[in-house]
Amino acid sequence: MIGMIERAPVELLGWFLGLLGSFGVPSWILAVVSAVIIIGTIIGVFLGLFALTSVMERKILARVQNRYGPNRVGFFRWRLCGLFQPVADGIKMITKEDIVPRTADKVVHFLAPVVMMIPALMVLAVIPYGRDMVPADLDAGILYFFAVGAGTEVAVFMAGWGSNNKYSVLGAMRAIAQMISYEIPLVIAAIVAAMIAGSLSPSAIVAAQGGFAFGFVPQWFVLTPWGFTACLVFYIAALAESNRSPFDLPEGESELVAGHLTEYSGFKYATFFMAEYVGMFAVCGMLVTLFLGGWQAPLPFLAVIPSWGWFLGKICFVAVTMVWVRATLPRLRIDHLLAFGWKFLLPMSFAAFFSAACWHYAGRGPAAWILSLAIVGIPYLILGKSFSNRFAVSRRTYQFSE
Amino acid sequence: MTLQILLAISAVLFAFGLAAVLSRSNAIMVLIGIELMLGAANLNFIAFWRFSENPSDLAGILFAIFSIAVAAAEAAVGLAIIILVHRRIKSVEVDDASSLKG
Amino acid sequence: MKFLGDWFVVLPAAVLLLAAGASVVMRNLIHAALCLTLSFIALGIVFIALGAEFVGLVQLLVYVGAVAMVIVFAILLTRPDRLEKSRTPFSGFGPAGGAAAGLVALVVLLGFIFSSPLAKKPLPAPASAPAAAIGEALMADHVVALIAIGVLLTAALIGAAVIAMEDKA
Repeated sequence: MIGMIERAPVELLGWFLGLLGSFGVPSWILAVVSAVIIIGTIIGVFLGLFALTSVMERKILARVQNRYGPNRVGFFRWRLCGLFQPVADGIKMITKEDIVPRTADKVVHFLAPVVMMIPALMVLAVIPYGRDMVPADLDAGILYFFAVGAGTEVAVFMAGWGSNNKYSVLGAMRAIAQMISYEIPLVIAAIVAAMIAGSLSPSAIVAAQGGFAFGFVPQWFVLTPWGFTACLVFYIAALAESNRSPFDLPEGESELVAGHLTEYSGFKYATFFMAEYVGMFAVCGMLVTLFLGGWQAPLPFLAVIPSWGWFLGKICFVAVTMVWVRATLPRLRIDHLLAFGWKFLLPMSFAAFFSAACWHYAGRGPAAWILSLAIVGIPYLILGKSFSNRFAVSRRTYQFSE
Repeated sequence: MTLQILLAISAVLFAFGLAAVLSRSNAIMVLIGIELMLGAANLNFIAFWRFSENPSDLAGILFAIFSIAVAAAEAAVGLAIIILVHRRIKSVEVDDASSLKG
Repeated sequence: MKFLGDWFVVLPAAVLLLAAGASVVMRNLIHAALCLTLSFIALGIVFIALGAEFVGLVQLLVYVGAVAMVIVFAILLTRPDRLEKSRTPFSGFGPAGGAAAGLVALVVLLGFIFSSPLAKKPLPAPASAPAAAIGEALMADHVVALIAIGVLLTAALIGAAVIAMEDKA
């Protein structure tokens, strides 16, 4: 019974393809239909998550700020806690007038949202959603993820420059500088997990985190010193890559109008918004795959919940922490942001890399754990001290006119 | 798909890059031409690897990877030089950097 | 990939040549840079179609994600203060000279290609270069080259930063 729920999506697809095949459909059409169904399911699930996240984020932000979020829009006279807000937002976005500046570069301005959405959707192909549920089990899946994710930078530039607006260009340049700077710690943190697992394929990395030490402690990478550091580095760099607070200077409303998105209205803005959220979920999915054990359950007896259920739960957990961070931390200034990325995150990612290598070659025993903890902890203390000295907050003195 | 077709494609790409280097007046367009020529050479390497008798000899692939790395480094340094020259003579045209002429 | 067959290589190659040609003749510098980005993407897809997936993905990551962005940044940082429409985008021998040089090079190269016996090979079975094999080859046989590339990239990074730094004299 439990196995049936677990295998349900794959079995359903196999049954449907078998049904089509029994009608005499040639095999290449079956391959196309299978691909279309898988792609449609993934896009449907992620767009549904996007809709839910937009209202969830507003409500969580609101509760943190001691107010209610959207709680009116319901369905046919039931309030439903405002969960139908995305429907209202969608109708608003679609029916808004699409304003294109007269002197804007029409082709570039039009293509920017499209070019932004394409990599955000393409990277969803290599994430393992459950046991044997990777849409494309590539040999170099992690490399594919980052290579295709680099396409968003081109889209940000096209959006900024195509609007023919000084603020947009400035915002786009800042956004690209931020994305390029934080891509290096992101990739190195991912390589830490790939190095220990011995493969660039996400499903192999998930499999390397299987098993339970002492019978009940999961062997996820986040529960090791180097893995915890790499997970935090990946998390912070992921926040910066998807332009989320506290790194959302490129699109903050109080800075540079709206940065590279200033001249976009209506459905194009909704496309950018959608691409940002889908990208956020994709990188959450990669974080869960690399460090949090993918679709595996944390305790042996919890494997009754299907693997894709665990994956969904873990992604939602990481997404909620991202919203929590947005509600809590103030926005970083661009020079602080770049200094943090180059002078703290990059050395920490190297420290995690070195620590993982030492952990592996010291035999993975208790001595290796202490050694790897030292290799990660000492740079952290030194770098943290230097940063807190530089940006020390002194006691405020108020001068009132008397 | 013969090797000759692939090599011909890479030759056309190389010719485009060469035309850009020799005829454009903006220094950044010259650099774009150089990148096209490097891309054509990489395509040659991969084409020869694909058609080799023992593809487990990865020399072609490794050469292409090293070439991509070197091209990235050279683009970065070249563009830094262009930015510095622009700061001095306020222009990026290759004809304007002529103070050593004559 | 199997049912597309040769078209998987020919279509991106056609896009590659069209985008490269467009980027060479365009007057607007940013449009030229964007066409160059498209040609890089097409070249990456050609590499993937030829079976060298690792190189194709590295091409996409490095060229599209880094080199194209650096070119675009340089264009934005060196824009003329006033739009000068009088300067022609061609210099030296002009477009005719450049096209002639390109044509000569093309004819010479094509002559070599179509007359050499080396290029008349038949298509072998599809090869695969798994990332693990590339990693082992890099670390075992070509480790000196790997370290030399690392030193070169570090030197280029520091050099570019020093060159482009503002004079704080």
